[in-house]
Amino acid sequence: MRILLAEDDALLGDGLRAGLRQQGFQVDWVRTGDAAERELRAQPYAAAVLDLGLPVMDGMDVLAAVRRAGVRLPVLVLTARDAVPDRVRGLNGGADDYVVKPVDLDELAARLRALVRRSHGVAQESLRVGELELDPAARSVTHQGRPVMLAAREFDLLHALMLNAGRVMTREQLEQHLYSWGQEVESNAIEVHVHHLRRKLGTDVIRTIRGIGYTVGQQRP
Amino acid sequence: MRRHRTRSIRARVLALVLGAAMVLWAGAATFTWVNARHELDELLDAHLAQSAALLVAQQLPEFEEHQGIDAPVLHRYAPRVAFQVFHEGRLAVRSVNAPMAPMLDPAAAGKNEFRSVRIDHDAWRVFATRGAASDVLVLVAEKLDARADILTAVLRSTLGPSLILLPLLGLALWWSVRRGLKPIDDIGRALAARPAGDFSAIDRHDAPAELTPMLDALDSLFERMAALLETERRFTADAAHELRTPLSAIRAQAQVALAESDPELRQRALSATVQGCDRAARLMDQLLALSRLDAQASSAGQLVKFAPLVRDVVAALAPGALDKQQDLRFESAVGERALRGDAQLLSVLVRNIAGNAVRYAPRGATILVGLALAADPDRLMLTVENSGDMPGPEALARLGDRFYRVLGTDEPGSGLGLSIVRRIAQLHGASVEFAQSARLGGLQVTVNFPATP
Repeated sequence: MRILLAEDDALLGDGLRAGLRQQGFQVDWVRTGDAAERELRAQPYAAAVLDLGLPVMDGMDVLAAVRRAGVRLPVLVLTARDAVPDRVRGLNGGADDYVVKPVDLDELAARLRALVRRSHGVAQESLRVGELELDPAARSVTHQGRPVMLAAREFDLLHALMLNAGRVMTREQLEQHLYSWGQEVESNAIEVHVHHLRRKLGTDVIRTIRGIGYTVGQQRP
Repeated sequence: MRRHRTRSIRARVLALVLGAAMVLWAGAATFTWVNARHELDELLDAHLAQSAALLVAQQLPEFEEHQGIDAPVLHRYAPRVAFQVFHEGRLAVRSVNAPMAPMLDPAAAGKNEFRSVRIDHDAWRVFATRGAASDVLVLVAEKLDARADILTAVLRSTLGPSLILLPLLGLALWWSVRRGLKPIDDIGRALAARPAGDFSAIDRHDAPAELTPMLDALDSLFERMAALLETERRFTADAAHELRTPLSAIRAQAQVALAESDPELRQRALSATVQGCDRAARLMDQLLALSRLDAQASSAGQLVKFAPLVRDVVAALAPGALDKQQDLRFESAVGERALRGDAQLLSVLVRNIAGNAVRYAPRGATILVGLALAADPDRLMLTVENSGDMPGPEALARLGDRFYRVLGTDEPGSGLGLSIVRRIAQLHGASVEFAQSARLGGLQVTVNFPATP
């Protein structure tokens, strides 16, 4: 899952990026409010971690701007402002969660995952499509009851497809979900990963929609 | 508990009033006594004279032979009154209680004369008069202790009640003074009952007018304390708030290190953790320094040679500047000139300003630390300027605000350094100015100290 981290403090931002990467997230890190607003409007992120005390543009203003622009992704506010009125203002202003520093990395990751699955209308943490079960926290996959070993990118790809089960995802969408800035993407990278997945899971799990993209699960009406 | 005896307004007022009352009463008593005695003397002397006149008017032929006529006791005072009538030098009539010998020496007695004499251990007041027609000498006398008795009776009747009244007066005064000063007691109790953090204005409802200046001063004091406390609270809240991010950074990096299998990345995370701790420690030091400075009213009054002090600080910063290939220079035009103040605080001030220059100026920048004297007004100027970028006008205006740090700086810093500089400057009567360096183009910080003669 690709998330945007907006935090101006060098040490903290670096720590959060490394920690979230360890938890399997792809992290894009910006340090000013205007950059955060710009990126949130331009790129599809699964979620965002937003510090409120950002330079140039305050976190609350960023939130208001992107919500006005119709960006619906879940936003977790991470801030030093701990007073109740601040929390209320944050949540009322469009944040989906409000966490006060210092925060435990595991907790942060868990909250992000919860936000992401909710935004896809999924209630449980584990995703289930047919006989395929995926646990994002444990980063494990079982197929027909048997555990399956997947590479990191393969897992991410399958995760993205399962989150959007029943919908078709284009190659571009999948690339954007999987890769953060500065990472070189081979033009056929997605096809290669799909090919590997099919070898491990069987050919009927991921369906190709010619000229459009890929999908898993039943088509939604 | 108060160990020393406080001067009580009540006691003093009471003492003054009672004292004055007693003095006045004693004066009145004395006056009454003297006056009554005088009047009594006059009255009774007149009575003596009149008795004598009556006797003279008696028919004289009846006094041919000595007869001890016993004058009847007509009045309870009568035994104290005596008379003698001499006809041609011989005792003609006398009262029973009069002696045989003349009470006064006849030769010495004048026509109408009052004399006080001693007869048989008693004091008598004698009046002597001679008859106009023949050689008659009448002596009428009164025992003086009779007069004393009358005087005592008169005084008792006039002053006696006062003696009873005086304690009552005292009681009444004590009670009314007590009542009168009750508002002071009430205010004292109300103030004592105030909870520690209550700085509201004092209720003036029952306050006496005399206390108004003091109550005004107290209200003003409360206002100042409330403001001070508010600044303290705000500062503590700010400080706690500011510590959250450094702590969060330490935690995040430590967790990354714990979960990291790659040794190189783990090392990186661990040194970042240490870096974060150092930063937090530095922030704590700055906060403590600032809070101590806040509490200080003025700086110590030592004479400090400024040029050597600045040179020492710059020398300590030189290695850091060398690491960044910066050109750090010190020029002094003030010789042995001294400043009045606290050497340690001045050192902190110079270190913060020059240290900032080293930290925030880019690599290879030039940093100039200069000391100069200026006239009109007489001052000693410390200037620290560097080449490189200038902060924008908005940032410039906020430099020195607590916790404010110019954006885009990757260097670790607490944002308190310039607040501390400002406060130390204030304690020394100096001003701090930020401008663009004409020579180097970057930020220029000038501290203007009042020059000591």
